[in-house]
Amino acid sequence: MKESFLFKTELWVPLYTGLKVDNLQDFIRTMRTVDAQSILYHLYINFFNYHSLPSYYANSFAYWLYMNGYRTLAEKISLIDPTDYFDLEEVRQSMLGILEDYKDEKVKGTLEPFYFMSVYRKVLETGDIARDIDEFIRGLRNSSINSIFYHLITSRVEKKRLINDYSQWLMNEGYAKKAEEISKLNIYAFNLYELKEEILRILEEG
Amino acid sequence: MIEAYAPYTNEETIRELELLAKELKDIKVLHVNSTKEGGGVAEILTRLVPLMNELGIKTDWKVIKGDEEFFRTTKKIHNLLHMPQQETLESSDLINYLRTTYENLNLIDTENYDVVFIHDPQPMGLVVKKQKGQRWLWRCHIDTSTPDQKAWEFIEGFLNAYDAAVFHIPEFVYRGVKIPAFVIPPSIDPIHPKNMELKEEQSKDILERLGIDSRKPMLLQVSRFDRLKDPLGFYQAYKLVKKKYDCSFVLAGSFAPDDPEGQEVYTEVLNAAVGDKDVHVLNLPPTSHVEINALQRSATVVFQKSIREGFGLVVSEAMWKRKAVIGGNTGGIRRQIVDGLTGYLVNTVEGAAFRAKHLLADRSLREVLGENAKERVRHRFLITRHLKDWLLLMSFLLGSSQIGTGGLEPPTSAL
Repeated sequence: MKESFLFKTELWVPLYTGLKVDNLQDFIRTMRTVDAQSILYHLYINFFNYHSLPSYYANSFAYWLYMNGYRTLAEKISLIDPTDYFDLEEVRQSMLGILEDYKDEKVKGTLEPFYFMSVYRKVLETGDIARDIDEFIRGLRNSSINSIFYHLITSRVEKKRLINDYSQWLMNEGYAKKAEEISKLNIYAFNLYELKEEILRILEEG
Repeated sequence: MIEAYAPYTNEETIRELELLAKELKDIKVLHVNSTKEGGGVAEILTRLVPLMNELGIKTDWKVIKGDEEFFRTTKKIHNLLHMPQQETLESSDLINYLRTTYENLNLIDTENYDVVFIHDPQPMGLVVKKQKGQRWLWRCHIDTSTPDQKAWEFIEGFLNAYDAAVFHIPEFVYRGVKIPAFVIPPSIDPIHPKNMELKEEQSKDILERLGIDSRKPMLLQVSRFDRLKDPLGFYQAYKLVKKKYDCSFVLAGSFAPDDPEGQEVYTEVLNAAVGDKDVHVLNLPPTSHVEINALQRSATVVFQKSIREGFGLVVSEAMWKRKAVIGGNTGGIRRQIVDGLTGYLVNTVEGAAFRAKHLLADRSLREVLGENAKERVRHRFLITRHLKDWLLLMSFLLGSSQIGTGGLEPPTSAL
């Protein structure tokens, strides 16, 4: 039996972990142990909040490294695409791999502090349900950017799978090409409003 | 009333607030602070409390009562939590604080509420009345990163009985906080007279009334006459810019007759600028919201050249009006301005002048940064985000089984 698509949304309020670092060694040490929600926060807060940081660095870890003169590390950390992973621990290990292997740059003294933030997340059903593609398009039109964020990004982490909710449902409904197109969207090339429009464009194409 | 915000955010945001509130509709919430009027806390409560009620969450707001001596003591505690001072907390201060707290225990009913928000140190001691099952939250509007140790130890005795604390930015959180510390920045209200839309004619009329030539590019800073806001630095930057651009300088603020520093700084700026007819130093009454609004909308470049700053919400007010703000690289200004994207962060007078010259020369740069600035405020510093944060916070407090111990001993031996 085909499943309906239940539209949900996700809201955040930031929580400070109390972990503040001002040098690369402590940054790496803290990255090893900090709560996974903190990794989630810093990977995504940038475009979750739209104009958070200059978009040429993908996440706040990379931005902090760039701001403190670790430009090579910033580039490498920025290239990590969290949508290639469904497990935050794996993302953490990939970042640590880069940070720990990197020996070339001179060790700097005290840097601008980095405050490790975490987040309290709340996922809510919006009340919109789709049983067919028309209802799906209508539901998406009604969706907030927070809802787009949830279905495209964090629900994958929750469900521990690589495919996003939209593509999964479309696949089940027999729209494999559209599902694939949505999966291939480069989330860092757009803001969430633009992503919404891109998804709608894909859905409405013949 | 909540629908009035939809044009400034969108329908989806309002719907999300309603969804969140629906889960909390059976609870009763109390806010306690120290004044109904004046200051940022009263201003935000005036707006947010009715909105919570409209969303179906029964919310009351009460004010702690105290005599002059009590408020002198709490002002001292406030200053000491900010940083060590020459003066220190005496035993008599603590006795005075505790006596007034106990008097208020009988005046303020806190028992019949599920969630109690306590704002700042004045009513903090009321937590001795905390009941089992209640959730208490301390909202701190002070930068407590480097407090006087004795003052911190005094409030810590109360603080540890709370279920969570809230600070403006992580930089303000003292490293010794042992309870969950949320980070909720303040917000601006787009329908407040300070921020509401104004017709161009209205702005022009106001400028004319203030004696400002609206045809000239204007550099503006809105701030108290306080050295930490660096009004003289702003003036020096204007002088550097003026060599190349015919522009006006407007410093708008207010000081009370009993504020000697305000009077002194006001006079210093006036003396520095004597003879320059393009300089306007305005001491406006604190209720001049529409005038400030008109100035911000008419400005070509807005400055907030502070040396030290709390949050500096005036930056967001200007950003909301699509202004690229040149801000001192300090405090909450750093959290509002994204350097090069929504404005500029500067460390020196020269840096401020350099950026101002760029902005004056390039209209499209002003427009791009101004549009980015408005979008940033729309997503991060509007009252709707603030309301969402409060609702989430209550959801966290009521949903968590690991927090809330109920009751505590008052910290009579803190010193």
